[in-house]
Amino acid sequence: MSTGNHYIVVDRVCKSFGAHQVLKEVSTAFNTGEVTVIIGASGSGKSTLLRAINRLEPHDSGTITIGGAQVTDDERSLQRQRSEVGMVFQQFNLFGHMSVLDNVTLAPRRIRRTPRAQANQKAMALLRRVGMQDHALKYPWQLSGGQQQRVAIARALAMEPKVMLFDEPTSALDPEMVQEVLDVMRELARGGMTMIVVTHEMGFAREVADRVMFFDQGRIAHDAPPADFFSNPANDRIRAFIGRMSG
Amino acid sequence: MLTAIWPTQWSRQQRSNATLVSALVLMVLALSLLGWALSFLPEPIGNNAQAFSEGARTTLWLTLVSGAVGIVLGTAAALARTARFIGLRWVAGFYIWVIRGTPLLVQILFVYFALPVLVPGANLPDFAAAAVALGLNVGAYNAEAIRAGLLAVPRGQTEAARALGLSRTYVFFDVVFPQAFKISLPPLVSNFVALLKDSSLAYAIGVVELTNVGNRIQSATFQPIATLTTVAVTYLLLTTLVTQVSNAIEHRFDVEGRVK
Repeated sequence: MSTGNHYIVVDRVCKSFGAHQVLKEVSTAFNTGEVTVIIGASGSGKSTLLRAINRLEPHDSGTITIGGAQVTDDERSLQRQRSEVGMVFQQFNLFGHMSVLDNVTLAPRRIRRTPRAQANQKAMALLRRVGMQDHALKYPWQLSGGQQQRVAIARALAMEPKVMLFDEPTSALDPEMVQEVLDVMRELARGGMTMIVVTHEMGFAREVADRVMFFDQGRIAHDAPPADFFSNPANDRIRAFIGRMSG
Repeated sequence: MLTAIWPTQWSRQQRSNATLVSALVLMVLALSLLGWALSFLPEPIGNNAQAFSEGARTTLWLTLVSGAVGIVLGTAAALARTARFIGLRWVAGFYIWVIRGTPLLVQILFVYFALPVLVPGANLPDFAAAAVALGLNVGAYNAEAIRAGLLAVPRGQTEAARALGLSRTYVFFDVVFPQAFKISLPPLVSNFVALLKDSSLAYAIGVVELTNVGNRIQSATFQPIATLTTVAVTYLLLTTLVTQVSNAIEHRFDVEGRVK
């Protein structure tokens, strides 16, 4: 692999929760403009890797670099890195006491000191992009799960991140709401956004991913373009997993 | 409920503001007119109306001062209790343990009589000593109410805010505290109402507050029913008004419309 456009580099990263080792010397790199879909059974370490990248879950050993700078506990560089890395959670995690608009404008107003009027204007543009412009003054509890997740995507985009991390963004949604969120993500990918997506949506992986990564027991067991990955499974575990997920 | 009397087309904020303003106006009116209203009553109340009114004012003032101390102390202790640094957790734990484990009356007597012996020069006048002791006391209870609120804010809220790149200070003031405060408000109000009544213990070190006034007149006139009823009704009036203020605040934070 060339190091030319590696934006995030993960090198021999280990992480344990108590006696259970979740990540075992994981090494990989994510390139600018690339959409990587990470799949694998629950507990295989895929979400942990995502959470280690923006240090919500500090890793035990190895290094992670974002744009050449190491991810450490140093508050200042961590805040800068986090504002360049957008994150979308399984449970949406919208701020319940704020309107949709305030959810989206909070970070730019606080971190970039964007004046409120300007931040609102930009937030409305983002909300239009995710189809939520008519709900700007509502509170999260008034929205469906799919709508909340679309707002969460707009909130992450408000900091103009260079890469977006998606941690099972559709797993907590009713089936009929999954598509509206995937549509927004598809649109983002088409726009050239660098994305790392942990998901169980095989259709999305097939269609949108540049690269599919299979996690198994804390290791990257396979890493291939989607056409290869799905038509030509590398081993029986992957075959069985694809079978279960697509069934 | 004062919050329910406003036109239904008013917004939540308008109703909350209207309630807040009217409750505060009522409180000022009640205190300034109490003496005048009581003066129409027969003896032994009418001729002592001024003393009752001054006692009520002292009680409310004592409550407000120690309540303010208690909120600051309580927030600080709750933060210390949830801090990453173990020394802070230990200090806050010790404070809460001592205060909740000893009687308030002992604490008041201690600050007034024992503190000047322990710390030369810390001779507090009776009112200040009572305010310090009551503030320390309610602070310990507030700390637990606020801590419960802080812990009730889901972890995902902090994670989402941190993931946006917000500093710890912003995460706390913009995301965690507003949600924690809303959860802590009902127990904080209970503590405040309890404080208003517990301020009567300041009587033990000679603060001339409402209970003290009532008891003095009672023992001078041998009319316990009239005097103590007046005292009790005055407390009831004060606690009712305090509750209206807190309802208005609760209403303001109730973005989900869950408070009925």
